[in-house]
Amino acid sequence: MNNEANNLEKSSARNNPTQNLDQELKEEVEGDEEEKLHELLLPDIRDLPTTPPSSVQTNFVSYFAPDFVKPGHDQYVYRHANGLCVIGLAPTHVAFKDEGGITAVDFNVGKSDRSGIKVTGKRKKNAQHFETNTALCKVCTQNDSYIVRCCVKGSLLEVNDRLIKHPELLNSSADREGYIAIIMPKPADWLKVKASLLGLEEYKKLREGS
Amino acid sequence: MSSEIEEAQDSNGTDAAQIISRTNDHSVTLGDDEIRHLNDAVCSLPSHAVKDLHSAGVCIRCIFRLFGIHDHAYFRSTLSPSVMCNILGEGDSSSSESNESELKPEVCRICLGILQFTYRDEKEMLVKRKNGDELAASIAELLRQEGHQIDGFSLEVSIPPIIFENEQAVRLYMKKKYGSEIWFQDRFSECISTKDALKFAIVNPLETILDVKSGPSSVRVRLTYTETKPSIKPSKSVDRNGGLKRRKTETNNGLDTVHVELVGNGTGCCNLSLGQGSPSSGRSSTGLAELESSECFNFPLERVNEPCHLVFVYYRAPMYFGGRYLKFSRNVSQTRWIIDDERMGEASIEEIIGGNILPMCQGESYKFHAAGREDIDVRMLGSGRPFLVEVQNARKVPSEALIKEIETRMNNLEGKLVGVKNLSLVTSHSWDLMREGEAEKQKQYCALVWISRPLEDEDLQCIASHKDLQILQRTPVRVLHRRSPLERGKMIHWMKTEQITGSSQYFLLHLCTQAGTYIKEFVHGDLGRTHPSIGSILRCRAEILQLDVTDVKMDCFLAE
Repeated sequence: MNNEANNLEKSSARNNPTQNLDQELKEEVEGDEEEKLHELLLPDIRDLPTTPPSSVQTNFVSYFAPDFVKPGHDQYVYRHANGLCVIGLAPTHVAFKDEGGITAVDFNVGKSDRSGIKVTGKRKKNAQHFETNTALCKVCTQNDSYIVRCCVKGSLLEVNDRLIKHPELLNSSADREGYIAIIMPKPADWLKVKASLLGLEEYKKLREGS
Repeated sequence: MSSEIEEAQDSNGTDAAQIISRTNDHSVTLGDDEIRHLNDAVCSLPSHAVKDLHSAGVCIRCIFRLFGIHDHAYFRSTLSPSVMCNILGEGDSSSSESNESELKPEVCRICLGILQFTYRDEKEMLVKRKNGDELAASIAELLRQEGHQIDGFSLEVSIPPIIFENEQAVRLYMKKKYGSEIWFQDRFSECISTKDALKFAIVNPLETILDVKSGPSSVRVRLTYTETKPSIKPSKSVDRNGGLKRRKTETNNGLDTVHVELVGNGTGCCNLSLGQGSPSSGRSSTGLAELESSECFNFPLERVNEPCHLVFVYYRAPMYFGGRYLKFSRNVSQTRWIIDDERMGEASIEEIIGGNILPMCQGESYKFHAAGREDIDVRMLGSGRPFLVEVQNARKVPSEALIKEIETRMNNLEGKLVGVKNLSLVTSHSWDLMREGEAEKQKQYCALVWISRPLEDEDLQCIASHKDLQILQRTPVRVLHRRSPLERGKMIHWMKTEQITGSSQYFLLHLCTQAGTYIKEFVHGDLGRTHPSIGSILRCRAEILQLDVTDVKMDCFLAE
């Protein structure tokens, strides 16, 4: 049945040279458009940097809280333009100095298991309001454990529960996939805490030689 | 008795007057034949009942419609004093010329002047028109002033509910008083509504003056009558608790007017079933039987000093333009985006397209709708994205040629920020077309990706091998502040890598995904919250530098 239809089509195309021409023209136009599109898509390599900034660098401003509550407990706060703050362990955190690095992460600290909270809706219902020194989780090394704290007063939107099964993420990429939590501070609260945080350059200087 | 054919009175619109005098069918004053017919019709009316109504403050046209007389001409034409005399009967001392002149001082207690073509305009001026044609001429003049180009119109009339209540009160009174008389069953059972009577009076002259037909149309001519002093509003049903109702008095700009109200005569509750079943067709069929149930009635009606306020409004139902847009700039947002008084980006698609369409059809305002959106730094290429511009109250319908001209102009704007294709007038149905299946539509993209190690042949194959890849995306951090924290499953239908000569770590990633997929996050992984991602598939760090939408796979607004 199909063959018949095909044959009919072909014979009609043969008998109808204008139809053929139309079809060809159409395809040519389409081909042209595709070419034009492709031209637009190809970048000029000369404009491209050898190493582009990372998504974190592009989308966040990095702050640091050195010796937070306890000495050596260096944490970072990445603040997005929309006000959200990603909290994590800075590379100079004392936990990384332990042999074997971080072996486990436990969110069951303080009064509740932080990994169990379900925040819903645009208004972020059920989000817990934490203070700057509220405990987020405990990271364990072979011989020791360290408390990680909020650093920023606000609503806890999310904890990185992947760390429970994959604590090694902290060892490999604490600044990205190994983030600890996401907090939403009120604008006023952010301004207060910002004053006590260090920018990237200041932090680097402080920890020079660490 | 002699019939006098009066000259057509001078109306405001001289054009109107000329047209009126030309047409024979719809003369302002009644022709001989019509006068005869009217006389016959009138003679068949019970004169005592007519006089009764008239002395109760009911105007002639209301009397006609209460008796179910439905010849349009009677409502439309001037009722000259002689005709009036005839209707009301000679020799009636109360109906002397001075009282029954056409320019009756008394406002009808039922229709509040509407069918006497008397009203207060927006400037509080008292306006008295002699006939339907004059009123139509005023309306037409307004349309002309506003520069409307129309090819038809739909006439809408809105009147205060108290008119119906007054009418019911009168009908009830008539039933109580004359119900047993022979003529009552035949002549008084069907009543024409005030709205319809008014329409009878003005539709034909309007059609003539505007030279278009009336009927369902996107062009609406709306007459809104409102009471000059609102009375108490027992709009749905009157207070069942009986007793007198409290008056609400208002001073209205110092006008000392008496408001019309239903005055209970104190004998108990009023339970007229009001405001129900007001039919839009010719005759009001609210049976008199329903009126039986009330125990008291609100008759006689109070004297009315003030006719209604009349507001003419002309508006056109929204006009829709559909098409597809392309965005060539990485600094143009889709819609107007202002934060703290500062505009984000240098322009917006919405303003460019809407801002060009609006003047073309002389509309009042516009709304921009699109099938999805892209970030400000993402270009929209290929066949473009379907959009709809809804124009409110356009004054004119643009021609195809004009539309084409505007499209060309937008495509040639300085900076070539935007492209527009297939712009045309569409119906409101297009809205549904655009929204339909929005969530199922696939989108095609091209991303400029960088990875932290050189690209290898295996990588190309690996990426291309993934068909209908399921990914899980947590709400990206960049929108998490305003969207629900959810995990959404999305599908990447296919992917293709294109190497870039001269670079080992940059490449173009072409991909086709389910609607609603966050592409940027699929590339860089969003801190691991989108999984899998390009980075996780290639086991390295991946970053996205540029993104372009290359195809929005939807059927609407494609070239014919």
